[in-house]
Amino acid sequence: MTAISPAGGADPGATVPDRPLLDVRGLRTYFHVMDGTVKAVDGVDFSIPPGGTVGLVGESGCGKSVTAHSIMRLIDIPPGEIAGGEIWFDGRDLLKLSDSEMRHVRGGEIAMVFQEPMTSLNPVFTIGDQISEAILLHNDVNKKEAAERAIESLKAVGVSAPERRVKQYPHELSGGMRQRAMIAMALSCNPKLVIADEPTTALDVTIQAQILELIKALQARTGTALLLITHDLAVVAETVQTIAVMYAGRIVEAGTVDQVLLAPQHPYTQGLLNSIPGVKKRGRALSVIKGVVPNPFRLPPGCKFQPRCPYAWEACSASEPELLPAPNGAKSRCYLHSPEGAGRREAFEKSVAATMESVGG
Amino acid sequence: MTPTASDAPADFEVALVSLNQWQLAWRRFRRHKLAMFGAGLFLTFVAIAAFGPFILPYEATNVPYPLKFCPGTTISANLGCPPFNDGHILGTVGGTQEDLLTLVVNGARLSLTIGIGAAAFASVLGAIVGGISGYFGGWVDTILMRIVDVLLSMPLLFVIIVFAKVFGYGDWRVILLVFALLGWPGIARLVRSLFLTLRTEVFVDAARAVGVSDLRIIFRHILPNAMSPIIVVTTLSVAAFIVTEAFVSYIGYGVNAAYNPTWGNILSNAQNDILVGNWWWPLFPGLAIVLTVLGINFMGDGLRDALDPRSRE
Amino acid sequence: MIKYVVRRMIQAIPVLFLITVFTFLLMHVQGNPAQRFAQNARVTQAQIAAFEHRWGLDDPLPLQYCKWLGVCGDKPIVVNVLPPALGGGDNGILHGDFGYSVFDGRLVTDVIAQRMLPTLILTVTAYLIWVTIAILAGVYAAVKRYSLFDSGLTIFNYVGYSLPTFWLGLMLITFLSVPPLRWFPASGMNDPYTTPAFGTDSYWVFFGQNPFFAIFDLGRHLVLPVLTLVTVSIAGDSRFVRSSMLDSLNQDYVKTARAKGVPERRVVLRHALRNALLPVITNVGLEIPFLFSGAIVTETIFAWPGMGRQFIESVGHTDYPVLMGILLIAAVSIVFANLLADVLYAVVDPRVKYD
Repeated sequence: MTAISPAGGADPGATVPDRPLLDVRGLRTYFHVMDGTVKAVDGVDFSIPPGGTVGLVGESGCGKSVTAHSIMRLIDIPPGEIAGGEIWFDGRDLLKLSDSEMRHVRGGEIAMVFQEPMTSLNPVFTIGDQISEAILLHNDVNKKEAAERAIESLKAVGVSAPERRVKQYPHELSGGMRQRAMIAMALSCNPKLVIADEPTTALDVTIQAQILELIKALQARTGTALLLITHDLAVVAETVQTIAVMYAGRIVEAGTVDQVLLAPQHPYTQGLLNSIPGVKKRGRALSVIKGVVPNPFRLPPGCKFQPRCPYAWEACSASEPELLPAPNGAKSRCYLHSPEGAGRREAFEKSVAATMESVGG
Repeated sequence: MTPTASDAPADFEVALVSLNQWQLAWRRFRRHKLAMFGAGLFLTFVAIAAFGPFILPYEATNVPYPLKFCPGTTISANLGCPPFNDGHILGTVGGTQEDLLTLVVNGARLSLTIGIGAAAFASVLGAIVGGISGYFGGWVDTILMRIVDVLLSMPLLFVIIVFAKVFGYGDWRVILLVFALLGWPGIARLVRSLFLTLRTEVFVDAARAVGVSDLRIIFRHILPNAMSPIIVVTTLSVAAFIVTEAFVSYIGYGVNAAYNPTWGNILSNAQNDILVGNWWWPLFPGLAIVLTVLGINFMGDGLRDALDPRSRE
Repeated sequence: MIKYVVRRMIQAIPVLFLITVFTFLLMHVQGNPAQRFAQNARVTQAQIAAFEHRWGLDDPLPLQYCKWLGVCGDKPIVVNVLPPALGGGDNGILHGDFGYSVFDGRLVTDVIAQRMLPTLILTVTAYLIWVTIAILAGVYAAVKRYSLFDSGLTIFNYVGYSLPTFWLGLMLITFLSVPPLRWFPASGMNDPYTTPAFGTDSYWVFFGQNPFFAIFDLGRHLVLPVLTLVTVSIAGDSRFVRSSMLDSLNQDYVKTARAKGVPERRVVLRHALRNALLPVITNVGLEIPFLFSGAIVTETIFAWPGMGRQFIESVGHTDYPVLMGILLIAAVSIVFANLLADVLYAVVDPRVKYD
């Protein structure tokens, strides 16, 4: 998760080896609403290498979707505002692009798959129309070629009888089929990055697995980078290489899948893992994180998780910790990894070990 | 409910203030500036109707005021005098120099009574018919809803005018009844659709299982849950009935001006003199209608937002 | 599609039937018209009985209805319903026989036919203008939410929605038709000093000779009544369009379109508007009944010689045959307008199933 500065930055043509495809730095997205300002995203940093896969995990309201929408600049302004930060994509800061430049990025270089396939497709246009619209916008093709490419892209996502499907309206397709169509639409212009915002949440469990397999397979085949946003740790475990856990608009833990899921370094991540029903926990009550997500208008002082954290002490409410390197190489926004927290780490690690035991690896 | 900044306690837990549905609605209504303004406007007119006639400086009607010219001018006084003459703030009207303010204040009584009374009566009728239709379904529903379909297909104003002419003879009580008896189908259709959803709820099955009678289920169990939209529609129909009364009286089939002034029949008397330019006569009674209706509409919108927070614009 | 339309029309038949029953009963609530002679000492009982027999008033009410409808008549029931050309009867509304005006003895169909065109000119002009403006204003306000235009429209809507139509008409006359301004004529369809009365034979001769002047004159007379109808109607409609468009702009598919890189203009005009107009179509169709009440009000205020004004005049004359004719035509138009709204909705929304 080390942020690598792009050389010069202003020159989009310059290709630098090892440069991340997407590099989000200090992103702040606020919403000014009647009752005050919601700092939905408040200082988020992460990056995705070309072809890499990153999972952004957290409870609803933690800012993960807002992060995704900020990258696409799909935040409604007002009431929203991108109050600070940079979003470097392929050598350009997306936040500095003009609207028309940004339009070419959207759909052409970064594509997005949304949560609700039921409502994300326009009910009054055929599937074919909607896919070829994207193709026509970003490629120099005529309508007939675009229609053919739409059929091909449907075929690529495993839709049966695509020639017939393109003439159908969204309501004539099942939820899984619609999500496949959304994915086909996202991939139809060969984007460098696909952002999938809870792509399986609204689907049946069996369909969920199919769609995840599909995303994984397509990602491997096309080499597209993937930013997967989900509240479901099981989903990221199977699909991505690195994970960033968000809480109250911040990344609280970041590392590889193995680091984060096998040896969580933040009490919040541990709590999330603890609340997964596991085979070995049968018959026992599920443990949940005590308390609720803090009121966005009145975030607690210091660490935002501190009021719910079983390990918190005075330092935690005095100031907010940075993302600190943890012993296993991951990063964690927790004072347990500061020199002052060393004494308390043993209790935490013991508890984590118990958690991992009960989750069953 | 999402707690807001002001009522979140210091320990960052969710504030669970237990308020019932109506207290919550009242809280939302109070914060709705436009709605509070509208309610104030409407209540002002209600107060004017209730107490105005007692504190007016002039006799209720027919102030004899033999004049050749309006005070201080050379305007002929035989059609009334413009506002602010000799203490008549809104001017005087007609050869008998009736004080327009007195007329408008007295007119408020019946205009508001008919508006509120007809709306309330029509809602009760509509709630009964719609409730029976929606609760029992089957052939009862089919017959009642066909009647509703027919009444809603008739141009309502036409039918009202015919009834007002045939039965009304200028009596305001009959006019009120005619409005109510013809005005219920819209509310019946609304209540029916609410009942169709509510009757499948578990609490209805529960009541039925313990042997509660149908009538009791309708009025004690389902109706209270359907109250919010009924209140909103009833409020808005007060405005509609005030305007309808005004028009029906304006064309001469409503309330008789000789006995009871209403805003409509004041306008009716005004129409002959419009072409000679005494603009104040039609202007002020009309403004009274507009302000009342505006107040009711603001209030109705506020009630809609307060009673059903999901139905945002 | 055709099947759907046919099925909807068949569904409308019971309502149409009940409308005729209701209209018939409505006109009989005042009792037996022959009784109005009962007070007259010079009219004998025998004369009253003869009058009742002459007009079929001594028949039982159901038979009177049946005859008025045209199902019963001189011929057997089944035959009588048929058109005259097929050997059926010629009485009753099913055969276009609405009877005679008791005021001036003219055929009701003639009276209505003469008043139909003015009403259509007034209402259709107003309707086209207000629907167009309401859609444009509502969409623009939704797209530029919280702008000056949006706030201005919201205020206009509240005020316009609270204005009684007839009072707005009175005010326009009071301030725009009388000295000092005198910009627009206050009443009628044409200038009585230069033009023959609208609809008469000499009017059409005049129209043929001076088409530009006649149209200009008609247009001048249309301004105030149309302005009245348009002002109050835009208020409700633009608000509806605005909220429908706002709703549509907040939908996920609009976000999908933006995420595809669709230009904002196209997002609004193609993706959002298509969906926003679906409920608008139904709403605009369901507003056709208000054209009739709008007509009755504006025609009364502006002395516009249309069906609404005829209705008020006939109420004054207690001219029941004409009242029944106008009521029936209005009610039947409303039923068909609703049907049209449904069919149009089914055509434009792919989600509606025809069967």
